[in-house]
Amino acid sequence: MKYKSQKVAYWFFAACMGLLALQLVYGFIMGFAHMGFDGLHSIIPFNTARATHTNLLVMWLLTGFMGSAYYIIPEEAERELISVKWAYVQLIALLVVGVTAIIGFHFNWWEGRKFLEIPRPLDYLVVVDVLLFIFLIGGTIWRGKRYTTTSMVLFFGLLMTALLYLPGMIPTDHQTMDSYWRWWVVHLWVEGVWELIMGAILSFLLIKQTGIDREVIEKWLYIIVGFTFLSGILGTGHHYYYIGTPRYWLMIGGIFSALEPVAFLGMAIFAIAMAKKGGRTLDNKTALNWTIGCSVISFVGAGLLGFAHTIPQVNMYTHGTLVTAMHGHMAFWGAYAMLILAIITYTMPIMTGRKIQDSVMNAFAFWVSNIGMICMTVAFGIAGIAQVYMERKLGLDFLGVQKEIEVHFLGLVLAATLFTAGVIAFIWNFIRYGLPMDSKR
Amino acid sequence: MFSKSQAKAFFLVGTGLCAGAFILLTIDTLKRIPKQTYSQNLTDEAIRGKHLFETNNCAGCHTILGEGAYYAPELTKVYERRGESFIESMLRDPEAMYPGQRKMVQYKFTDSEIKDLIAFFKWIGEMDLNGFPAKPDVMRPAVQTEALPEHMVSETAKLVRPKVFDQMCTACHSVRSQGGTVGPALDGVGTRRDLAYIKQWLISPTSLKSDSKMPKMPLSDQDISELTSYLSQLKEVN
Ligand code: HEC
Ligand code: HEC
Ligand code: HEM
Ligand code: HEM
Ligand SMILES: [Fe+2]
Repeated sequence: MKYKSQKVAYWFFAACMGLLALQLVYGFIMGFAHMGFDGLHSIIPFNTARATHTNLLVMWLLTGFMGSAYYIIPEEAERELISVKWAYVQLIALLVVGVTAIIGFHFNWWEGRKFLEIPRPLDYLVVVDVLLFIFLIGGTIWRGKRYTTTSMVLFFGLLMTALLYLPGMIPTDHQTMDSYWRWWVVHLWVEGVWELIMGAILSFLLIKQTGIDREVIEKWLYIIVGFTFLSGILGTGHHYYYIGTPRYWLMIGGIFSALEPVAFLGMAIFAIAMAKKGGRTLDNKTALNWTIGCSVISFVGAGLLGFAHTIPQVNMYTHGTLVTAMHGHMAFWGAYAMLILAIITYTMPIMTGRKIQDSVMNAFAFWVSNIGMICMTVAFGIAGIAQVYMERKLGLDFLGVQKEIEVHFLGLVLAATLFTAGVIAFIWNFIRYGLPMDSKR
Repeated sequence: MFSKSQAKAFFLVGTGLCAGAFILLTIDTLKRIPKQTYSQNLTDEAIRGKHLFETNNCAGCHTILGEGAYYAPELTKVYERRGESFIESMLRDPEAMYPGQRKMVQYKFTDSEIKDLIAFFKWIGEMDLNGFPAKPDVMRPAVQTEALPEHMVSETAKLVRPKVFDQMCTACHSVRSQGGTVGPALDGVGTRRDLAYIKQWLISPTSLKSDSKMPKMPLSDQDISELTSYLSQLKEVN
């Protein structure tokens, strides 16, 4: 660790681990409910479990991005963070707001718009907190010794993430408008500005791990994020097919979103090619596994499985079914969850000075969580296709169809158990690293 | 091949053009949405209904316009599919309409709140959604043979299926293997039961079977007589 202030990242990553663990608990509650075991219904009805599951996901990913930025920016800008104290304040404030929101979900306090369930008063607090974060990172870059492409792309991605939260707060009484603006947040995040963050973090990891010249890597970074925006911005149209918006979106959304996988393919080829070319002897194989794995699984989950239902004629039948859940899981896991687990795996030995990154347990974590996630995707996929066929093609009753596909949720829960075993191993290994070096008494 | 500054220019120009186009399209879309969604029919009632839908996070179990959760039925066309009185009883007591099934939250809505939610569903159901939800397009054998078996034709020539049957009864009962499975299939009920029995059953199931699991349905006298004549014509086929 070159700069002392980089160790704030540790506490952000520790928070990630806690939130991730809790997210999975709520995933199981829903998996069981789909199987017919809804014993918790009176305390945690499905909508509470769902809002908690997805908001914890978004929260730990954002926390992870922030931690990554606090680690990467000092090293790129070649100076300490402008304030460590405020970075801790920012983390604690974020956690307090997040936990308040989640407790609120258990008492019917929310906004009821998918992924943006956080109640309005808390939205403002989130905005303030993120502005503080942007200020700390921006200030560090501003006063730094050098501006690198990696840090600028990362900063721009984070800034746009903050700004794009605002359209989600535009008040409206119209369901279509509500949905229209919601996608400016949800879609333009995951298929737009978060890909910038992803590209930048991958570049940082590759520069550090392969020793390839920064100029080469950063050149490709521009090309990849160029493709992201070229396809992703107008690709938002794939959510405007059937919500009461004009018909031309079928054409525009269809064409541009069909090009979105190109950026993910680019990311995968880029990571694999750089890792192959790199001459450095590796002292952290697991981190490179997570780095390459991230680029590959995101191509499968977001690129291929996204493409599978993005054509309007297909989406007409799959829109709002378990097929979407199949895609959502693998895309989020591959692109963003694995990205954060990659940077955690890379930074932990450096921050704590303990070299247990290539332990059996850490290798187990990588393989078992990924195999588990692939099996979960298959289970959701089969359930989804069966649902689409019976409900949308044959016109059978919703609940009757759900009865038929209950068995696939047994498959889901088994796969999720495997996946969870991997995640537990990861968290256990995280704990074994102990605290960052100079905070030890 | 190409330099880093060319790569940067590609990124900046591409992003600028696409963002510009997206903003222009958004302006156009905002102008067209009111016409396409019949905003003039968006009454105060429906707006309050939307608000209730949102503050109770109904979309945490259901989808609407195809967005939401995958645990409970799509609600975009629920007004047409089930009709007012079914939705009303559903919102009063979900267990009454679907006993022993997957659970919905029991809300304590007032009469006017229920009206608001129904107005909201009515408005949503009328929107022009470019064809969503698609009509089921794979024919099942049971549907293909909508033409009845020979020996029934004469008797059932006047067999019209009342709309209220599709809205209220198919949630639990099937006819020709279409519909729900909570109650028994009603094929052949006209042979099993006589007209008076069916009529009395519809007026009050518990008057005939004290532990009946079928709820008393909110039916008008006209509905009951239409249903009774329809059901009594569903004769055993063999
Ligand atoms: C905990 C999950 C859950 C929540 C929250 C929920 N529902 Fe439901 N709802 C269901 C389920 C499951 C069904 C299917 C019938 C059953 O099994 O009770 C259903 C059925 C319905 C139906 C009948 C649909 C049909 O096709 O027969 C309507 C109308 C409805 N819900 C409206 C609402 C409204 C309005 C809200 C919010 C105020 C809401 N629901 C909240 C789970 C939920
Ligand atoms: C909430 C589910 C539900 C709904 C909705 C429902 N039923 Fe039923 N129905 C049942 C159940 C359950 C039984 C079996 C009653 C029992 O034996 O306790 C039944 C029994 C019957 C029977 C007697 C069948 C026999 O063979 O004795 C008739 C007739 C009938 N229903 C007609 C209707 C009609 C007409 C409607 C629509 C207005 C309707 N039902 C709506 C659940 C329902
Ligand atoms: C990392 C990137 C991605 C993530 C995290 C992601 C995640 C998700 C999630 C969570 C949803 C459900 C959203 C909701 O209903 O609110 C969704 C929907 C969708 N995604 Fe993605 N996605 C990604 C990339 C892609 C790509 C590249 C494509 C297309 C090629 C795509 C196509 C779609 C489509 C068509 C839907 C709508 C499904 C429906 O109609 O129900 N996604 N995505
Ligand atoms: C223990 C493991 C998990 C289980 C059992 C599980 C189960 C579920 C279930 C049942 C749903 C609800 C689908 C519905 O509405 O009916 C859901 C939603 C979702 N989960 Fe998970 N999940 C798990 C882990 C994860 C992980 C690790 C991620 C992210 C990386 C994730 C991301 C999501 C997303 C994005 C949604 C919303 C999907 C959509 O709306 O299309 N889940 N999950
Ligand atoms: Fe999208």
